[in-house]
Amino acid sequence: MIDRLSTVLVLGLGNDILGDDAVGLLAARELKILFHDKVDVVEAAVSGFEIMEILEGYESVLLLDAVVTKAHPPGYILELSKEQFKNVVAISPHYMGLPEVFQLAEEMKIKFPKIIRILAMEIIPPYDIKEGLSEPIQESFPQFVETGSAILSELLAGKC
Amino acid sequence: MKQIKIDPITRLEGHGKIDIFLNDDGEVANTYFQIPELRGFEQFCVGRPVEEMPRITTRICGVCPEAHHMASAKACDAVFHVEIPPTAKKLRELLYNVFYAGDHTTHFYALGGPDFVVGPDAPKAQRNILGVVAKVGLEVGGKVIEMRRRTQEVIKILGGKNTHQVTSLPGGVSKGINEEERKLIEEHCKWFVDFGKFTIQVFNDIVLKNKAYVDLILSDMFSMKIYSMGLVDEKNRVNFYDGKVRVVDPDGKEFVKYSPNDYLDVVSEHVEPWTYLKFPFLKKVGWKGFVEGKDSGIYRATPLSRLNAADGMPTPAAQEEYDRMYKTLGGKPVHATLATHWARTIELLSAAEMALDLVRDPEITGTNIRAIPTATPTEGVGIVEAPRGTLTHHYITDEKGILRKANLIVGTTNNYAPISLSINKAARGLIKKGTTVTDGILNTVEMAFRAYDPCFGCATHTLPGQMPLVVNIRNKDGEIIQEIKRN
Repeated sequence: MIDRLSTVLVLGLGNDILGDDAVGLLAARELKILFHDKVDVVEAAVSGFEIMEILEGYESVLLLDAVVTKAHPPGYILELSKEQFKNVVAISPHYMGLPEVFQLAEEMKIKFPKIIRILAMEIIPPYDIKEGLSEPIQESFPQFVETGSAILSELLAGKC
Repeated sequence: MKQIKIDPITRLEGHGKIDIFLNDDGEVANTYFQIPELRGFEQFCVGRPVEEMPRITTRICGVCPEAHHMASAKACDAVFHVEIPPTAKKLRELLYNVFYAGDHTTHFYALGGPDFVVGPDAPKAQRNILGVVAKVGLEVGGKVIEMRRRTQEVIKILGGKNTHQVTSLPGGVSKGINEEERKLIEEHCKWFVDFGKFTIQVFNDIVLKNKAYVDLILSDMFSMKIYSMGLVDEKNRVNFYDGKVRVVDPDGKEFVKYSPNDYLDVVSEHVEPWTYLKFPFLKKVGWKGFVEGKDSGIYRATPLSRLNAADGMPTPAAQEEYDRMYKTLGGKPVHATLATHWARTIELLSAAEMALDLVRDPEITGTNIRAIPTATPTEGVGIVEAPRGTLTHHYITDEKGILRKANLIVGTTNNYAPISLSINKAARGLIKKGTTVTDGILNTVEMAFRAYDPCFGCATHTLPGQMPLVVNIRNKDGEIIQEIKRN
């Protein structure tokens, strides 16, 4: 499905006309410029099975997304491990969230990335259709990209 | 008055909330299904060139972008007064039927199916695709994943991209297929037909052979006698991409059949103070509140209502199953909400058969794929059947094709009133004086709306954070007297 040129994938998730929900996509675009010939970059507004199809076959992945935990202020950057998702106490209201994707891939013995690094930024749940990021998200955005860049460097150096 | 709150609703794309209010006697006083839906899409589009709409509207929803892409393209064809070449129409239809087969697969195995396959009383954490795989085996899980993978591959070939398709333009499509691609798609379509038949068998073995499930499907609390809506072809057979919209009354008699341009003569929208989302209803019958019957303008636009509104299916194997369903359930029309799952499997098979027919059509590799619009753009309406309901796009432009007004009635919105009514009926049927409200009871209430495959908020793809399902039971003063956390 995806023409794989690298074993390392950057996957930006979000919707580019839903305000802050686009932060993962925009960060992926920045990283594509910085690492254009070293990693594959995919932008997607999907969940569930489609994410499984995108991740399949890669060795390592940096996943960029927005998150709503309500435990942090907007703009707060979190790095999450795949293991942390096993502690999510309820199934995602989306039909198949990332924890289920990971578990299903494991059970189905699908060739899945051994290393999955997840970088997320806390946002306020967006309900208005609009382009552009809000002020707190814009302020944190350079740090978000910088952190993503550092993680990618580690992934490419095989330090993870 | 006590209040039971189900928030968020599990396995729903987007976020919703059900509030069940109990009176002092412990009976259900009322129910409210509230949607914090996305706002401002129509306004966002105003001022843009209308030909951009098929690409922009795919972003409304991460679940059915193909439906918006097609409805939008058809509206654009109408705006530019252009008839698309036969090959272009067949390519669009091929893409759309493949999408349908994949989308219905997701719902049956990952969303609605777990209610039956794993069972409504199963622990929360098992009522999902993982539970289905655990119950029916890895082989079935593998087939589902394979089905999804293959449909995505075909959609990418035809649509240019998996998610945000770019192929449809005013007047046709931007890319045809060559013989090599046709052969590859044909192999996939054969596989889809086999998978459709396999899914029918799964439904037969797991649901229809279980008397308790059949009793639940046919129970009064999951029955609702209202109007049925669906797109039909010239022979009144189900069609997902094109045709006229037909509505039959609760007795199955044709009430109206209308062309897309006439939708405003047929459908109107009711407003309630407790929700931003409107409730479409049949204008000539009128809004009579959340009630059933021929005198109530509430209608459904679902897989089941599409089958009710049609005289049959366009393909042979699906027709056979269509006949069997109505024979089993006592004839047309069927008003059992949970039979929507059966109808969905029939549609899955029909979409697969239709896709195979289209890819074998000699015209499918034709090179005349676009009629360049030359007329002055004005106004147009495009209608397709989204998997979750009749989808209408209506655009008005200036003479340069700049959008001045857009109106969308999305699939699920058609079903907002019947979903609310279904939840109300299920809650009243299950929660009686002295009933201990268990996880299983609440899930059975949720089953009432999951059958509709609703998709409201669409598109926030934020990572799942800490989202426990909390049920609050409140006293008449609104104080929480019991809190149930599902985990």
